[in-house]
Amino acid sequence: MSKNNHFLLLIFVIQVICVPLGAGLSVNAQNLKDTLRLPEFEVKSGFISDNQGFKREKLDSVLLLKHLDADLSEILSRNSVIFIKSYGNGTLATPSFRGTTAQHTQVEWNGINLNSPMLGQMDLSQIPVSQFDEIEILYGAAGISRTGGAFGGVINLATNPDWNERIKVTLAQSLGSFDTYSTNFNLMAGNKNIQSRTKANFTSSLNDFLYYNDYLGTKVRQENASCLQTGITQEVFWKIKDKHIISGRLWYNYSDRNLPPTATDYGQGHIEKQKEKALRAVLEYKYVERKFNIMAKSCLVDQYMNYYLDTTINTTHKYCSWINRIRFSYLGIRNLTIKPGIDFTRDWVNSDSYDGIKTRNTTSILAEINYDIGKKIKTSLVIREDVIDDKFLPVIPALGLEYAPLYDVDWKLTINLARNYRYPTLNDLYWSLTGNPDLKPETNYSVEVGTWYHWLSGNRKFFIESSLTGYYSWIYDMITWQPIEGSNLWEPENIDEILARGLELGLNLKYDLWGFDLNWLTNYSFCKSTYEKASSEYDNKIGKQLIYVPVNNLNSTISVERWRFFLKYNFCYTSARYTGKDNLSMMPGYTLSNILAGKNISMRNFMLSLQVEINNLFNLDYQSVANRPMPGINYYFTVKLSFDNPFKK
Amino acid sequence: MRKYFPLFGTFLFLSLIFFSCGKQAIREITVDPGSPDTIPTDYYQHGIFVINEGNYNWGNASISFVDYNTGAITQNVFDKENGRDLGDVAQCMKIFNGKGYIVVNNSNRIEVVDIKTFKSIKTITGFYSPRNISFINSSKAYVTNLQSNISILDLRSNEITGSIPVEGWTENQVLYDPYMFVTAIGEYREPSFRRNPMILVIDTRTDLIIDTIPTGKEPIGLIMDNQHKLWVLCSGGYDYFEAPSLIRIDPGNRKIEEVFTFSTTQTVPSRLSINTSGDTLYFLNGGIYQMPICERGIPIHPLVNANGRLFYGLSVHPSSGFIFVSDALDYVQNGMVYQYNTSGTLIRQFSVGRIPGSFCFTTDSLR
Repeated sequence: MSKNNHFLLLIFVIQVICVPLGAGLSVNAQNLKDTLRLPEFEVKSGFISDNQGFKREKLDSVLLLKHLDADLSEILSRNSVIFIKSYGNGTLATPSFRGTTAQHTQVEWNGINLNSPMLGQMDLSQIPVSQFDEIEILYGAAGISRTGGAFGGVINLATNPDWNERIKVTLAQSLGSFDTYSTNFNLMAGNKNIQSRTKANFTSSLNDFLYYNDYLGTKVRQENASCLQTGITQEVFWKIKDKHIISGRLWYNYSDRNLPPTATDYGQGHIEKQKEKALRAVLEYKYVERKFNIMAKSCLVDQYMNYYLDTTINTTHKYCSWINRIRFSYLGIRNLTIKPGIDFTRDWVNSDSYDGIKTRNTTSILAEINYDIGKKIKTSLVIREDVIDDKFLPVIPALGLEYAPLYDVDWKLTINLARNYRYPTLNDLYWSLTGNPDLKPETNYSVEVGTWYHWLSGNRKFFIESSLTGYYSWIYDMITWQPIEGSNLWEPENIDEILARGLELGLNLKYDLWGFDLNWLTNYSFCKSTYEKASSEYDNKIGKQLIYVPVNNLNSTISVERWRFFLKYNFCYTSARYTGKDNLSMMPGYTLSNILAGKNISMRNFMLSLQVEINNLFNLDYQSVANRPMPGINYYFTVKLSFDNPFKK
Repeated sequence: MRKYFPLFGTFLFLSLIFFSCGKQAIREITVDPGSPDTIPTDYYQHGIFVINEGNYNWGNASISFVDYNTGAITQNVFDKENGRDLGDVAQCMKIFNGKGYIVVNNSNRIEVVDIKTFKSIKTITGFYSPRNISFINSSKAYVTNLQSNISILDLRSNEITGSIPVEGWTENQVLYDPYMFVTAIGEYREPSFRRNPMILVIDTRTDLIIDTIPTGKEPIGLIMDNQHKLWVLCSGGYDYFEAPSLIRIDPGNRKIEEVFTFSTTQTVPSRLSINTSGDTLYFLNGGIYQMPICERGIPIHPLVNANGRLFYGLSVHPSSGFIFVSDALDYVQNGMVYQYNTSGTLIRQFSVGRIPGSFCFTTDSLR
């Protein structure tokens, strides 16, 4: 047997071991990505840090193109190890990454922070997939090269220019169950030097699905759940002499939604709604040379949010951010790459919940050094110093090591160590009456060990990629909002200690068999994330799993393509999530299945795609969050027409 | 390439495992340590009901029951007897004419149960965040709301028959026949400085407000002592607007007789209660405070120190005088109940549901 076969055997053994585990409770399997089809148009530049020894993966544009009507929460929950806590279709969806909270996952759009400076988290249901080309996921300490404080990791949504000389127009219309309509328009035009991309989307849904209401003992139609979301992105890229790239981006997003009541409050006439507007503008300059790169960008974010509940609450929050980033790369020394950088961000918040306008300045100085020791070992060191207002946070260091022991086999072993800090959010500091300006930053120590294997057969018909990663991460001084003794108010304090440890397993197989394109992609995560410190002697939470963090999470997709027909079957298993810190109440685990099938028809420069998607195929009556009903089986039909005219020379 | 087939085979195998998971509805389940497996018939006649508010918007309110005879604790009794959830934020429970009235605040309803069996008799809907129920006679009750009005309830049909318009949030009620004294806090969404706190005096024969008595901010507590004097506990405002105060009112001439002011604004006292003989007040202010009605000032030292506990609910058992206090911990796990005697000695402690906020006692004596 060749070495390759040994590895295959090993992967197979891992799978076999996992299967019986799954049979019992929950279980199984892991993460992966689609590196095989790299976008043919990617501009290779040194700005995307290489981060040797850290874990990164990409969900590619091919996947996203098939789900133009989806939001980010659906894509991630079906195709990554990130657990999404969803309150229902179109309502709040927040990520839990490696056993951490939503505030420990940073969501970025082309390197620009999307997390609210107030709450420190992002609602993934508000990000339409159609507005970007690829999703880059940086696990744990890999995120340190982008930002401090993302203990779970960073999700970057990227758009890339296509430097081909052509015009491409795509119009897609979906209609689905519960009066859901989604329209997408995409225009790409330009030549080798200048490119323009325009993307617009409009989605609306009545979202009045039928569900079994346990309280009423009957089936009812979900009420007060309609939503509307629309957005437009305009991007312009200008390349001068293959050395300078100037780009401008503008993204406006608007959403207006009603928030449905809990199942127990059905029909009680609650009126709860939320309206959001966001405008993001980015100006970027890149200078690319063989030995030296520069990138500078400046971004303005303007956001508005209004929340209304019956006659009791009607609050408005407005905030602005001015984000600046400069990065250098120097590749002039053999085996060594040096990438220093500086970031400056200023946030302004004008909220009904604060006493007056609050601001914050964040300055970060960072340097990344990549050094190769021989041909087998690559190292990476990231050092980051954040200065917030006039406070210097302790230095954030991350060290990664990658070892590829065999020349002829694409097999890597990685290890990384890091210390990270997360500064309190503006809500933590300035919330009227109870904001706590004395909060310390949260501290995180983490270690991660991984192995990655990749093989493409000689005849290019079989491809395998697998990865196995283990991590161990301590969070100290975690900020938790606690009720104040003798009052009805809550205040944030550095209370909790969390220990998160887990395994992530990823497997991606592609096989070209008799012209059939077969692909099997599986992600599994095991995550034990526990409270390690009691807040009082009566506290019952030590050693108990964090609420709404499943121990096991598995998703798996198998797809077949032939004769321009495609069929994709996906299932996601989520194990039980506890709903109390004493772990005495829980939501049981469940499996959801989805099917996507379609056909692409080409006529000269036109391509017509027809696809049908069936979600919750087995019509499971489930709730992800307690008393928040979810829809049963539902359908989406999409018609997509593209025109692609490469200009003739 | 045939040798790779097993890999795809494992997918099918995995799939089979997951689809065999069954089609049971996925709903929250709770573990109730210590609850008896089988509940005898007419079990709920002698005991203590602990009303666990549950988390706001989580729909996990519950009732725990402590049997006087055996001391056994049964959790989630409403769910167990009725096969459905109680709702969102159970505010309080009162017993009247063999029926239990459970006020479920954020679900805008009152569940009426048979007190022997705890089986639901009726669900009354149409409230505006109901807070408290107070019985006037065998046919009529008032329900205070967080928003807009006081609801008038017909106890024979258990239906809302009318409402008394008020400004915003009304809370506690005491009947001084034929007048109902009601604490009115002001508009819920407004900060303390914009609220007009007062005691409303309602003639229960006409359902009209005939008088008002201004009080300190957030008059959250109201009880009557054995001298037929009303005591009003004003928390001073959730936003620490002013120092809390305890006010004594003569309900006959509706005049304020005495105002005891707390020494600091940085506390929010709550849960004003009185013992059966009507001569000693109790309230929470961090710890448990005990104050004889003849005392000339707010007690400085608590009867029981909180010692890191988050005391949340307080009631005095009507016949035995035992003090029951609940600890909501961090609100995201099951709470505790502590039973003290009048000298502050711990008699018993037991675990209940999420955020225990109030108590309801059956009328017979505690063993």
